[in-house]
Amino acid sequence: MDDAAGSGSAEARSEFEKQVLPWMPDVYRFALSLTREPAEAEDLLQETYLRAFRSWQTFQPGSDARRWLFTICRNAFLRQRERQRREVVEEEGDLDGSASFLLHARMQSDGSDRILSRVDLAPALNAALAELPEPFRSTVILVDVEDQSYEEASEILGVPIGTVRSRLFRGRRQLQEKLIEYAKDAGFAAAATRDGGSNDA
Amino acid sequence: MPDGRKEIDCSTAIAELWDYLDQELTPERMNAVRSHLDRCAGCHPHLEFAQRFLDALHRCRGENAMPEELRLAVLSRLRKEGLTS
Repeated sequence: MDDAAGSGSAEARSEFEKQVLPWMPDVYRFALSLTREPAEAEDLLQETYLRAFRSWQTFQPGSDARRWLFTICRNAFLRQRERQRREVVEEEGDLDGSASFLLHARMQSDGSDRILSRVDLAPALNAALAELPEPFRSTVILVDVEDQSYEEASEILGVPIGTVRSRLFRGRRQLQEKLIEYAKDAGFAAAATRDGGSNDA
Repeated sequence: MPDGRKEIDCSTAIAELWDYLDQELTPERMNAVRSHLDRCAGCHPHLEFAQRFLDALHRCRGENAMPEELRLAVLSRLRKEGLTS
């Protein structure tokens, strides 16, 4: 406590400002991905920065401040949610790029892959991300949105690299499934209904 | 691995596509997958699909901008704790 940035030297406070404050928008995005609710994300961001400020002495100089903040944020979120933590059963077995391949082949066959070159998918994917269940959502956000490596994400989430990989690939597959629905709703899958497809728009 | 340019087939390249795009393979495997994708017309559309999907996902960064009032609120809270700026 004595060495926290608040009660520490001016130099410590200045370092905190320089290294930690610029990452606020990134931590907010991550907090939002965890809570899904802007009001909760705001509380979580406040909590994360407060904890970071009070435990600045635990930061290893030269290490990645953003990763350190993501870890604090994730831990604070888990503490907040401990009572109501959602249990998500993770599927057994491995999943690799072949699942994406099969899904793309489906999109090619019904023409819905045309949506990729014609529509900005970011808003649709952002909405799909908000619906993605944990633990897939935070993993996809860390790796695909926040550019963390598998190893970095495994440190932040406190799980083995293999688990990050598996959650990431499953999360991506679920997002791609949503993309197919989106393409159908947008009228990009004309052949699907002729095909005896499972549903139509 | 004496030969970094070892040939791989389509199913192997596709199975390793995510790891390849995430640059999580060893340099030898990166080379092997790249070399296959460069010359396989069948796999190329899948590479393009995966790349576009990841690019769009990455652009989600811009979809959730932090409100300026929130930044000010956090700074104000930190100042109460002793932050000087």
